[in-house]
Amino acid sequence: MTDDPIRLTVNGTGHSIAAAADTPLLYILRNDLELNGPKYGCGLGECGACTVIVDGVAARSCVLPLSACAGRSITTLEGLGSRERPDPLQAAFVKHQAAQCGYCLNGMIMTAKALLLRNPHPSEQEIKQALRYNLCRCGTHVEILAAVMTAAGHHIARDHATGDAADATH
Amino acid sequence: MRRTDAADPDKMESSGAGSLSIIRSTPNDDAGAGAGFEIYIAIDANGQVFAYNGHVDLGTGIRTALTQIVAEELDVALDRVTMVLGDTTKTPNQGPTIASETIQITAVPLRNAAAKARHYLLARAAEQLDQPLDSLSIEDGLIRAQNNHSVSYAELVAGNTVRLELRDDVTLKDVNSYKLVGRAIPRLEIPAMTTGEMIYVHDVRVPGMLHGRVVRPPYAGVDAGDFVGTSLIAVDESSVADIPGLIAVVRIGDFVGVVTDREENAIRAAAQLKVTWKPTPTLPDLKDIATALRANPSTPRVLRDTGGVDDALANAATPMPRTYVWPYHIHGSIGPSCSVADYSDDGLRVWTGSQNPHNLRADLAKLMALPEARIDVIRLEAAGCYGRNGADDVSADAALLSRAVGRPVRVQLTREQEHAWDPKGTGQLMEVNGGLDANGEPAAYDFATRYPSNAAPTLALLLTGAVPPVAATLQMGDRTAIPPYDYQAMRIVAHDMAPIVRASWFRGVSALPNTFAHESYIDELATEANVDPVEYRLRYLKDERAAKLVRDVAERAKWEPRPTWTPKDADGDVVRGRGFAYAVYVHGPFPGKAAAWSAWVADVAVNKATGDVAVTHVTVGQDSGLVINPDGVRHQIHGNVIQSTSRALMEEVTFEPSAVASREWGGYPIITFPEVPTIDVVIVERQDQPPLGVGESASVPSAAAIANAIFDATGVRFRELPFTPDRIRAGLLAAEQKTKSASPLKKRGLLAGLATFCTAVVGLIVAASPWRPAIAPIAPPDVATYSAATIARGAQLAALGDCAVCHTAEGGIVNAGGRALETPFGTVIATNITPDVETGIGAWSYPAFERAMRQGIHRDGRHLYPAFPYNHFAKTSEADLQALYAYLMAQPAVRQTNPETRLPFPLNLRPLLAGWNLLFHSPAAFAADPTKSEVWNRGAYLVEGLGHCGACHTPRNALGAEKASLKLAGGTAEGWTAPPLTSLSHAPIPWSEQELFTYLRSGISQFHGVAAGPMAPVVKELTALPDSDIRAMATYLASFTSNAPSHAAQQAMAVRLETVTSAKPLEASQQGARIYDGACAVCHEPGGPQWFGSRPSLALNSNLHGASPDNLARVIVEGITKPVNGELGAMPGFADSLNDQQLTELIRYLRTRFAPDKPAWNGIDTALRAARGVAR
Repeated sequence: MTDDPIRLTVNGTGHSIAAAADTPLLYILRNDLELNGPKYGCGLGECGACTVIVDGVAARSCVLPLSACAGRSITTLEGLGSRERPDPLQAAFVKHQAAQCGYCLNGMIMTAKALLLRNPHPSEQEIKQALRYNLCRCGTHVEILAAVMTAAGHHIARDHATGDAADATH
Repeated sequence: MRRTDAADPDKMESSGAGSLSIIRSTPNDDAGAGAGFEIYIAIDANGQVFAYNGHVDLGTGIRTALTQIVAEELDVALDRVTMVLGDTTKTPNQGPTIASETIQITAVPLRNAAAKARHYLLARAAEQLDQPLDSLSIEDGLIRAQNNHSVSYAELVAGNTVRLELRDDVTLKDVNSYKLVGRAIPRLEIPAMTTGEMIYVHDVRVPGMLHGRVVRPPYAGVDAGDFVGTSLIAVDESSVADIPGLIAVVRIGDFVGVVTDREENAIRAAAQLKVTWKPTPTLPDLKDIATALRANPSTPRVLRDTGGVDDALANAATPMPRTYVWPYHIHGSIGPSCSVADYSDDGLRVWTGSQNPHNLRADLAKLMALPEARIDVIRLEAAGCYGRNGADDVSADAALLSRAVGRPVRVQLTREQEHAWDPKGTGQLMEVNGGLDANGEPAAYDFATRYPSNAAPTLALLLTGAVPPVAATLQMGDRTAIPPYDYQAMRIVAHDMAPIVRASWFRGVSALPNTFAHESYIDELATEANVDPVEYRLRYLKDERAAKLVRDVAERAKWEPRPTWTPKDADGDVVRGRGFAYAVYVHGPFPGKAAAWSAWVADVAVNKATGDVAVTHVTVGQDSGLVINPDGVRHQIHGNVIQSTSRALMEEVTFEPSAVASREWGGYPIITFPEVPTIDVVIVERQDQPPLGVGESASVPSAAAIANAIFDATGVRFRELPFTPDRIRAGLLAAEQKTKSASPLKKRGLLAGLATFCTAVVGLIVAASPWRPAIAPIAPPDVATYSAATIARGAQLAALGDCAVCHTAEGGIVNAGGRALETPFGTVIATNITPDVETGIGAWSYPAFERAMRQGIHRDGRHLYPAFPYNHFAKTSEADLQALYAYLMAQPAVRQTNPETRLPFPLNLRPLLAGWNLLFHSPAAFAADPTKSEVWNRGAYLVEGLGHCGACHTPRNALGAEKASLKLAGGTAEGWTAPPLTSLSHAPIPWSEQELFTYLRSGISQFHGVAAGPMAPVVKELTALPDSDIRAMATYLASFTSNAPSHAAQQAMAVRLETVTSAKPLEASQQGARIYDGACAVCHEPGGPQWFGSRPSLALNSNLHGASPDNLARVIVEGITKPVNGELGAMPGFADSLNDQQLTELIRYLRTRFAPDKPAWNGIDTALRAARGVAR
């Protein structure tokens, strides 16, 4: 069955997508729009590598059907900024060298961006909670946290592990 | 197969513009094109430097570090150097990128080559400028004499093609003059990573590229045994015939793949493809790793035997035999492996994320029977791999699929495939016999280690039979097997053994587990000897660099001597402790080479009640010799600390009888932000010493430091990983000599009502007037006689009646029928109700339609099965039936013949239904209740009539009729429980009229959950109805519940329920808790992050509180992929990601935690079987 084309806006540009309505948004972004920011990580919404912002709110594009995006405005990593004109959050990631393999980075940045959109000055605990379901395997958490803290207006010296001790009682 | 670009040294040379190359001649060149040499440095006529290294950047930043080394040695700016890594047509073959050896080993010839080029260029400049060589200086490739005359590298290179042989005795620059090496140069790739401009192998697109997926055999994660490659029975290609854009189904031995035009189609095809496999043998029980490894055949290899161990043991004053167990681990790349292959007459080109492009090329040559020279392996960055993951496997998969279709194919492994088939970091068993002598000195150290792992042959070679599935035994268990301490009597034995499941190197290889044993054991010795563990180590640590590191780290951490264990002050249930461990990571074939030295002080907090261990802070020191890039080293240390803490605390692969069970992050949790310790890094300055590998060293002391800290906190030794809450709690309880008998789960027998049904069905043979006349066909009515308003009203009524829900096949044309409806009596196929004359209802007159709706009789006189709810439709008013008829007849006619419904005997005898109707059906129209309000009556008409709510929500008797006395008291629908809509409701918060309205209108009630399963399309259809009708339905339905609470009261109940259930109950399934945390909590944990879509609160969810787990099982297995509307978001199904054992534990956990006042469910297994039965 060919579904009716679905209209959506991605990074400010309108698109009409003719694809099965239950296609996860991730594949539309990557294959039809050739946006490499959002990454496939698990297809289950567990790891966050595919995160995009839909109408101002973070969304896991690997489990979001195209049909749910009709008429919505989607921002991907590419839509935040470019190497020449990065978003302050992207610049903070560069400043803190907050990447090893970088595969999870899309999710980290987009999830943090969505947090900053609704709360421009989150505390360290709020940032950790917001990112707790974004998985990083390289162990870049220290640098990522420092980058988001910087973008949130905290003064963070480069390369100092930050944060309160995790608590066994939580 | 060559590509030409600026970095191609051949092109540089053949252009005639001039170039300088530093090469090493190879005796037997098998790279194909060109002469027998490998190139390390090439400088072109523009002064651009190209540097070639056979290793690859695994996300560690070696591209930047190598660039620094080359730029430093050549005295050029960083941006003048292009590093070419792991490209089989260009770079030297320097083996796989393993053992932290890029900087320590493979960078050595590169540095020498750069130095050689520098010397040559200086000599040429001295000639040209006619100045003494030692008077020249270089700045960014410009050689300047003291008379201020200068000449650039570009000028020196231009016009001459020069090749110089690399020599190892070249003089290098003095470290003291370094300007670039030793500086924190930002990594070159990071800006592009932050903007999506970085091209990973996952992002490769080539013209004409297709999408492939592979279907792996059921022996997931097992790669040896004669069933490997020989288990496929059949592939049913017809099972994917309906997939759009299907190009090919490929099978070679046990290799199965699909190729389609679009990626989502490949995903569907792979999921849908019916493949039958032979049963596969069971694995040894890997829950008990020690027993399994002892039983695995092995060959002892004595690595050291000094000082008369047997005598020393016999004379030990305090014998201390100890056993340490390491679990199986997954590499856990965040991006499952991906590759693009393009096979053509010219050969094979593969874009890969491989850790070892040259080895991969050899594998591909074997697999495809192609000479290596015709294979071009291009390495791109990929998700971090930390060892051997699926990168090579998927490259071979892509090659096979591309060859099958003659076009480029991109293959993406699924999360489940990467988890299951990734060559595991193996379980390992370390046994130590030893003890103390009378003076508290170590009496002896008799160490045996078992490491069942090898190089994990590339999967396609095994699946296609290109190499036999025989497990090789490699000698890799010996890494850091020799303890760093000067034990007088020492026997070290590696029991070399083949893998039990597919296993290969993972960061720290066998050294990490071996060190877990060494460093736990010396701590145990110190405790037994009543000596501070740091001091005790220093007594036997003869390596001065090591001793300095140990002292520095202890000092930095403000280590206070702790010679005797004393109970710690508890803060509530929490006790704190700290532990020390040290290692120098010795890698490579025995006796191996040492990489950086590392030492840890770990601080932990242990909750004695829950067993939770938090690593709160780690002080980690490292002596890496010359530091090329301090940022790079520091970040590697952070990464090692965090990853190895994760491995020690929570990671453990679980197994099914014949395969790996951990297939996603819920079943295999890794560390998250709130769990990450703070880290204090101590780098010991050694700029005068050669650089050492830093990629793994800081992982090596981790597990022992944490175990020693847990001991310090609790007084209990833990010798088996991971330190999960259940293990810690059990260990603490055992230590307190308490026993707690777990109450075994009672299993109830499977109750099938089938027998009852069969008996009852016989009663059906009480036929009344079984034969009904046909009503003559008509020519389709002229729809112009119906007003647009009537047709529009008919559309609403059709939506209310959910006509399209049942009469539309999955992905089919609306109302054209073909949908298979599962009923307790068999599968009923919905018919075509479009106005097609031959295959639909085009020839039906209104009287025929009305008779069907009111009496359940087909136009031709056949009885319709009551899956068609004519018992409800009969209540519809004449005017409404007319409108519905008008609407249906006004729709496009679709010619579609559907399969006949064939129920088993005796249900296939339709005349029997006459008796059924006699007993259970009243064709009377709806009659209003004058004692009730108009709105109530309107609601009753909608609910009881076309809305046919009772068809699902009223229980049925043995003959499938709704029980009139139990109206809306709860029934079933397509295997789902349709909950009671009366005061029998299980919902923790009673339904109110307002919540019913909200739910029916939007598909979600904050106090109950979202519409899922068959209810989702119902709510979707109801969007056609005006608010007034939805309100009327809510009014009528609410009248079944007495005393509905106010909104404020509901709100208060919700808060209370969420508070009561906010903590993980101790008695709940720990495995279930872990799966919930990894797979569910992201969307369902109250107070969690905000996401697009709904976040149904499980504490309030009716399904969690229901009498049976059916709906919960269905939702988890199938997901909610078609929500009522986009606002609600969607939920993925976990059918392919979690097995029944995992799902059972998850469901048990959810029930215990979120419905604490409800009894545990029986029949979870039955519910799961049912859910899986319909899911696929």
